[in-house]
Amino acid sequence: MTVLKVGELDVHLQWLPPSGEEGDRPPPTVVFVHGLLYDSLASYYFTVAPALAEAGIGVLMYDLRGHGRTSRPAEGYRLEHFVDDLDALLDAAGVTGPVHLVGNCFGGTIAFGHAAVRPDRVASIIAMECEPPIPRWAEHIGTGMAEAKAKLAAPEAIEWVKREHGAHVGRLTKTAAKILRVTTIAEDLPRSRTIDPSLVDVRCPVLAVFGDESGLAGQREELESGLGRCEVVVLEEQGHSVLVERPGEIVDLVLGWVRRNAAAELEEAG
Amino acid sequence: MSVEETTSPVIADEAAVLADLTGILRALLEDYEPDDIEITRDTTFHDDLELESIDLVAMSAQLREKYGEAINFASFVADLELGQIMALTVGELVDFVVTSLNAKGKSGA
Repeated sequence: MTVLKVGELDVHLQWLPPSGEEGDRPPPTVVFVHGLLYDSLASYYFTVAPALAEAGIGVLMYDLRGHGRTSRPAEGYRLEHFVDDLDALLDAAGVTGPVHLVGNCFGGTIAFGHAAVRPDRVASIIAMECEPPIPRWAEHIGTGMAEAKAKLAAPEAIEWVKREHGAHVGRLTKTAAKILRVTTIAEDLPRSRTIDPSLVDVRCPVLAVFGDESGLAGQREELESGLGRCEVVVLEEQGHSVLVERPGEIVDLVLGWVRRNAAAELEEAG
Repeated sequence: MSVEETTSPVIADEAAVLADLTGILRALLEDYEPDDIEITRDTTFHDDLELESIDLVAMSAQLREKYGEAINFASFVADLELGQIMALTVGELVDFVVTSLNAKGKSGA
């Protein structure tokens, strides 16, 4: 298992080297950032990551603090902790050039947060089903985390999930309940440092992907008017789980986006 | 490419691979403090062992460390959905490892 010491954390990461030939330029690197509580790098490892590596893209995946097989400190779960972890991880892993950050849900929120403080490091953002860390997000996450914590604290909740959604989701729910129980994540996240609601601090190109049934696609106009360059894709008849349920389309979207950005960079460089 | 006569090709032993895999799985399961579970070829990863998907990632990384780059679990499961991956049996994984190692032995890579 690949574990890197990042600050006080042991961070579990997986690196898939690019296997195809992309030409003379160094291959682009994509960093996958997963979502909260139920999620881990496995959501990428078993879905879109191998296909992207085979298409000539370097793929770095890691488990967030408190999640998967990365350390789980009792406290320190504001957004800025996650952003600092990502920045330090890139240093520790020896990633030098700008990367494309692909974030699922809260992972996308981290990507926006990182791009706002380290614009030199982020070539672009691909945000799936995500809200940027503006003050409204902090309110939403506060309500959502408090609800989840109350619900999952009930002893019968996990058995119910197991019956309704099967053993694996049951196991993931047990882990989610444990994270909420043993850490301050539910209390910390709503106290996160947020970015300006105008999104003026996010200067890289953004591809935002939504499912039409989740409600998050309502941010479309705000994103398009606030961000310098933003493309929005809304997948039809799709709820929140775009990554796990539509992996083929996500591979095509990420691949097309990264290649178009690389071509645009070349043109700009003359 | 020449193959030295004195070096026998890698022919992986199914029982040995099962023993290795059992060891890796037991180490992973320690984190969950399970009751003593018997691991056989028919054991499934999520229903019987109650492993999470992230545990399978850790397991595949350990298989790679043990047997080398020939064991590419991510590409083995690339065409499967997450549910199908979690429903794999220990025996199916043993067969995959043995096949990969034997293919590597034959190609001399």
